[in-house]
Amino acid sequence: MTSTQDRRADITADLASATIVFLVALPLSLGVASVSNAPLTAGLVSSIISGLIVSWLSGARMTVSGPTVGLAALVMAATQTLGSFDSVLTAIVLAGVFQMLFGMFRLGYLGSFVPHSVIRGTLAAVGLIMILKQFPHALGWDANFLGDESFGSDSLISGENTFTEIYHAIMDYNPLAVAISAVCMVVFFVWHNRIAPRQGFWGKIPAALAAVVAGTFFHELFGWAAPELDTKFAVGHFIKMPDVSSIPLKSLATSPNWPALADPATWRIAFFISLFGSVETLLTVESAERYDPKQIPANANRELMAQGVGNILCGLIGGLPIAAGILRTTANIYGGARSRLSNFLHGVLLLVATVAVSSAMNHIPIAALSALIIIVASQLVRPQFWKIEYREGTEQFLPFIVTVLAIAFTDLLTGVSIGLMVGLAIVIRMNHHSAITVVNDGRYILVRFAKDVTFAHKSSLKKTLRAIPQGSDVTIDGIGAQFIDYDIIDTLRDFRDGAAARRITVSLKNLRSRRMSLRGVRDGKLQEPFVGE
Amino acid sequence: MENYKSLLLANKAWVKEKLSLQEDYFENLSKGQQPQFLWVGCSDSRVPAEEVTGTTPGEIFVHRNIANLVVHTDLNVQSVLFYAIEVLKVKDVIVCGHYGCGGVRAAMTQQHFGIMDQWLRNIKDVYHMHRGEIDAAGDEEGRVNKLVELSVLEQLHNIMKTRVLQKAWKMEQRPTLHGWVFGLQDGLLRDLYRFDPSSSIAEEFRYDDESLKKPL
Repeated sequence: MTSTQDRRADITADLASATIVFLVALPLSLGVASVSNAPLTAGLVSSIISGLIVSWLSGARMTVSGPTVGLAALVMAATQTLGSFDSVLTAIVLAGVFQMLFGMFRLGYLGSFVPHSVIRGTLAAVGLIMILKQFPHALGWDANFLGDESFGSDSLISGENTFTEIYHAIMDYNPLAVAISAVCMVVFFVWHNRIAPRQGFWGKIPAALAAVVAGTFFHELFGWAAPELDTKFAVGHFIKMPDVSSIPLKSLATSPNWPALADPATWRIAFFISLFGSVETLLTVESAERYDPKQIPANANRELMAQGVGNILCGLIGGLPIAAGILRTTANIYGGARSRLSNFLHGVLLLVATVAVSSAMNHIPIAALSALIIIVASQLVRPQFWKIEYREGTEQFLPFIVTVLAIAFTDLLTGVSIGLMVGLAIVIRMNHHSAITVVNDGRYILVRFAKDVTFAHKSSLKKTLRAIPQGSDVTIDGIGAQFIDYDIIDTLRDFRDGAAARRITVSLKNLRSRRMSLRGVRDGKLQEPFVGE
Repeated sequence: MENYKSLLLANKAWVKEKLSLQEDYFENLSKGQQPQFLWVGCSDSRVPAEEVTGTTPGEIFVHRNIANLVVHTDLNVQSVLFYAIEVLKVKDVIVCGHYGCGGVRAAMTQQHFGIMDQWLRNIKDVYHMHRGEIDAAGDEEGRVNKLVELSVLEQLHNIMKTRVLQKAWKMEQRPTLHGWVFGLQDGLLRDLYRFDPSSSIAEEFRYDDESLKKPL
């Protein structure tokens, strides 16, 4: 193959993945805008900016950004606090500036501190929630908004939670919606496995597009063949694009309310938006990097700055805040994207859909797009992932499963924090067990540090030292520790000072690590007993 | 505490630490050894073979004597060579000296050291062979260090003169011989000499093919 042909194959692949990202991003954008109590255009505007501009600035070539549900909840609350959506826009611009600063000060490296188990837990949780949340839509029960991803959030609106929704949807399913979902799924898998691998015209059409078109045509055909049944079943089960042609351009692009900068609440909200957006972005970047088919390393700091630019632009022209989204990124990788072009093209498709063919878009049944989201989300919860996690052992599986459950029952930020804490607790516990070795031979006792000892070991060291019987001959050997925390030195000093009274002989050995001598320089009194051991 | 007791106590702690990392550590260790390396080093307490090479039990077969000499009449070192090369089938043999070696320094003086004189004679021979080069190496420290290096080279030649080595080179194209010197000042090993199985051996010391085919 010549390089021109390679290039053409790449562009075809990027166009195909852009289509699936577009079809996933469209309902998410509208759904997030509606839960934010923002104009529907605000969600589309943000997705379009993400695709057209952030795609080229991004530090990770596979991640796709857009307005996300976690941020939407913040926007909804912020609108109440600040009084108007244009004041929230000011906070969004400010959040963008914060994120650029995060990137400049290289806070992106914090993302690599999140354990793999927690990241995989996050992915599984997002996939699981998406499936559970989309399931009612696929059955034609549309009480919650499209793209919702938190357990209780819609209870504010409909008094339901995820499981009662599923219950209602099953009891009250819509046969037409079920049929549309089924058509979409069958067409998708047949196309994906049989037709897409072929050469020629049909092979170039993305499976996602074929599925949604098939679902839409199926519905149109049904409406033509049995109009009474169609009216009975299908009321309200379409996506509703904002009609941009009827809105004056001026009101389409809202400007930030700059005087809101004087309100400290604006700054506080801006900080939360930048924090939440950055956490979601870093998690997405970490996982995208791992599942990138070419394993090209990502630059998290550049990604934060790109998000900053995106949020500044979104705020300036009336869009919702954005973050790198897990579902969009999964769709991009699963769709076979080869480069940033895929992300860019999804922006172009959204722009065309919004500006040129929005009335045609209104023919797409919600069930068709829900079926597609379920297919993409199921990539994140494939059974073999769970098996792999389980086989890795408790110290991997526990943070994983805790993260999954915590996110499922709270929200992304809370869930990840809980997962991190469990991961940290396990590390401390494992380290704790083997750091201090105590052996004895009659009245001779050796207390040896096999590895670095920190404040976390203080209580067990104290217990050990207190239990040493009178008249013992104790050696404390720091051979395995490069770092000995001040708390430990303090404990050792107390023990040494009180030893004579207990008729205990103490000798200290190998306690001069690099970290220790630094301490010694700062505190002359401390240095003396440890030098020359 | 009496000093020797601290060794026994430290051993107990070591066992405990090993077991906390791997429950069947000693079961595995007791199954047998397959070291890839033979280390011939100095008895000096400051050059512990395992620690300076980051090797763990089972990885390196060690022989240490004063000034790391390979003497053809020394049953001890010759048995070590035989066992390591013929039975354990090591891939590499390392002779490692160290700068500032007390044995080498002693051999350069004209004092006598009791029974050690016989042992040190081997170093004196090397000193004698390279007298000019060593004298040109500057002050006493420089001369000692030069002889340390040349002695390591000589020990590699001594290994090459053995039938066990020549047989392994011919039949199995192993082991490679390495001459290293450890710097007490900086802890680094200098990789100075290397002889692979295709290296030539002076005719006087070469065994013919017929002899090499015979059992050792």
